[in-house]
Amino acid sequence: MKIRGKKVGIFILALFLIFSLVLTACSPEESSSGGKEGTTEITFWHDATDIGLQALKKMVEAFEEKNPDIKVKMVYTEASEGADQKLLTAVAGGNPPDVALFDRFKVGSWAAQDALTDLTDMAAEDGITEDIYYPYAWEEANYKGKLYGLPYTTDSRMLYYNKDHFKAAGLDPENPPKTTQELEAAAEKLTKKNGNRFKQIGFIPWYGQGWLYGWGWSFGGEFYNKETGEVTANDPKIVEALTWMADVAQKFDVEDIAGFESSAGSGAMDPFISGQISMKVDGNWAISAIEKYKPDLNYGVTPIPTPTGTDFTTWSGGHAVIIPKGAKNVEAAWEFVKFFGTEEGQEVYFAELPGDLSVIPTVNEKLGRSDNPMLKKFIDILPNSHSRPVITEGQLMWNELVDARENTVRGKGTAQENLDKATKAVNKALEKYK
Amino acid sequence: MAEVTKGTRVQQPVIVKRKMLSTKSNLHGWLFASPWIIGLLVFFAFPLIASIYFSFTSYSILQPGEFVGSKNYQDLFKDDLFWTSIYNTIYFTIIFVPLGIIFGVSLAMLLNMKIKGMGIYRTIFFLPTLVPHVALAVLWMWLLNPGFGLVNGLLDVVGLQGPNWLGSEAWSKPSLILMSLWGIGQSVIIYLAGLNDIPEEFYEAAEVDGANWWQKTRHVTLPLLTPVIFFNLVMGAIGAFQQFTLPYTMTQGQGTPANSLTFYVMHLYDNAFKFFRMGYASAMAWILFIIIMSLTALIFMTSNRWVHYQGK
Repeated sequence: MKIRGKKVGIFILALFLIFSLVLTACSPEESSSGGKEGTTEITFWHDATDIGLQALKKMVEAFEEKNPDIKVKMVYTEASEGADQKLLTAVAGGNPPDVALFDRFKVGSWAAQDALTDLTDMAAEDGITEDIYYPYAWEEANYKGKLYGLPYTTDSRMLYYNKDHFKAAGLDPENPPKTTQELEAAAEKLTKKNGNRFKQIGFIPWYGQGWLYGWGWSFGGEFYNKETGEVTANDPKIVEALTWMADVAQKFDVEDIAGFESSAGSGAMDPFISGQISMKVDGNWAISAIEKYKPDLNYGVTPIPTPTGTDFTTWSGGHAVIIPKGAKNVEAAWEFVKFFGTEEGQEVYFAELPGDLSVIPTVNEKLGRSDNPMLKKFIDILPNSHSRPVITEGQLMWNELVDARENTVRGKGTAQENLDKATKAVNKALEKYK
Repeated sequence: MAEVTKGTRVQQPVIVKRKMLSTKSNLHGWLFASPWIIGLLVFFAFPLIASIYFSFTSYSILQPGEFVGSKNYQDLFKDDLFWTSIYNTIYFTIIFVPLGIIFGVSLAMLLNMKIKGMGIYRTIFFLPTLVPHVALAVLWMWLLNPGFGLVNGLLDVVGLQGPNWLGSEAWSKPSLILMSLWGIGQSVIIYLAGLNDIPEEFYEAAEVDGANWWQKTRHVTLPLLTPVIFFNLVMGAIGAFQQFTLPYTMTQGQGTPANSLTFYVMHLYDNAFKFFRMGYASAMAWILFIIIMSLTALIFMTSNRWVHYQGK
């Protein structure tokens, strides 16, 4: 009897071990709903640190004050490739957060994978329409006519130039280049070489934010044909833009430029801040960096030059607030998304971040963003801004364009060949969604 | 026939009893091992086998996808970047693994000398392996900086114009090999253990025969170190084929310049988690598995020609 009891004990112990393992491995967080006295707790994944985190916390506080029945549990997930992978597996595993911050240009591909909650009806019910946003930002948050997130941040890209360098090189600092020819001529005057090494370099087309997307649009190209649903990275205008970039690369010897480029640091070591490069294409966030590291830098910003010197444009990215598919508390989550995605939350959030731009023009106005003469130029160009096409293969398109640029400026194939290849690769990948 | 049956019949009760006993104790054993076994089956064996199936589908993690036959494999062979990544990976493996062995063994022999403060030297050479890969990437990007990096600065002193290192297509892979060689401390430890395993008598005997340092190294140390070299060769080759973290963080996943740092697993990762092509990525994983398996098999087959075990 005694032995038998022991055996049963062992058996029960073993069973207990197995079940505890299985249970701990698979149990979803039950605490996410029904906390204290009817309050709902929503989980919110973000990637903010430093002042961004402060702003986010302020916004969450304001939200909780207004909605005492909803508690927001903020969870940090690092802002890199890893965060995507984490969200991806969380959605696939059926245990995602209720709300997450998300790079807007990925909305298309994630929506096509059915990984995001459709917000169209909830937005319509609460009267949230595209009217309050910049059109491109709203467009980026939609896929096939359905809304999958509310945009919140945006940015734009301009040409930064060092006025002191302009004076020293005999260029008019109040009259920066408008056409690409003028830009090239200025770059030549501003470049000073010492043997193989640059003492000062005028301009590198792809440095900073000089992506092919931006130059393609500035040259008047279109990357996507909405009617056919096919990408058109080999648009003659884009080929022209890339050919021009490669020409500039050859002129200054690409290996030498690449050497300079990889010497480029960030922060105080940023070559524009340290005066090693005279002109660069960069986003509005660079203003804050200059203010922080070298407030007395004598610089100006001007729209990115175009071949004709007219029709200036730029492109914008930014983030959206989304509800992943399978979120437990969609209703409460929507309240939060709505708060953050509209004027009320954005005013609180952007008040803390003077260098950042909201996707809602009235918020930028109310917070006096245009009072900063530099930032004003970035805001003024926003109505003409482009956004990357909302396609299911946005990331592939991005990588293919980077590869095409890299290969072309290094003389591996012509712009036409490389862009034909990129176009073909993306269109082939797009086929399966038709 | 009858005799045999008779014989077994006599012994049968004993066998049955033993069997019952062993079944029972076996059962308990299995029960106690079950958390591990279940873990292995659920988290290891199942995904492994499932990935074979997935490699024949258009599975995307979020969508089950459809069965597409061998399309993924056919597409792979037409994928230029796939071939580039194979070339880069083999280039890296062929140069890094032998260099790792040469440097590892030399370093281990240096660190095996009987001098004061050896513990400190050994620690110094082991320390780099404790540096996380991301930190290692940042550190070396500064050291190899063509403008104001320490490496080109030193080359400048001796009158050499250093290359662009990570900025140039020709030098990017050698740079990566250099960076990886910095972290061979782990294999040095194994070589050191191997060196300590060689009995002193062999050296004494060699000395009696009048062998010099080189002859002792060539005919005593190296042959007796071959089992350890063999181990490090296999592990090193497997590791080199899976090169990922360092180049991925260094190039923000782009494999710049001009895809010269796009390694096999980087391409696999992009397909799996960025382009939603887990089926395609599974196919890549199985091709990698076959490559590594055949390479390992090849090394094992040649091993009896050059690996000498003590006491054999």
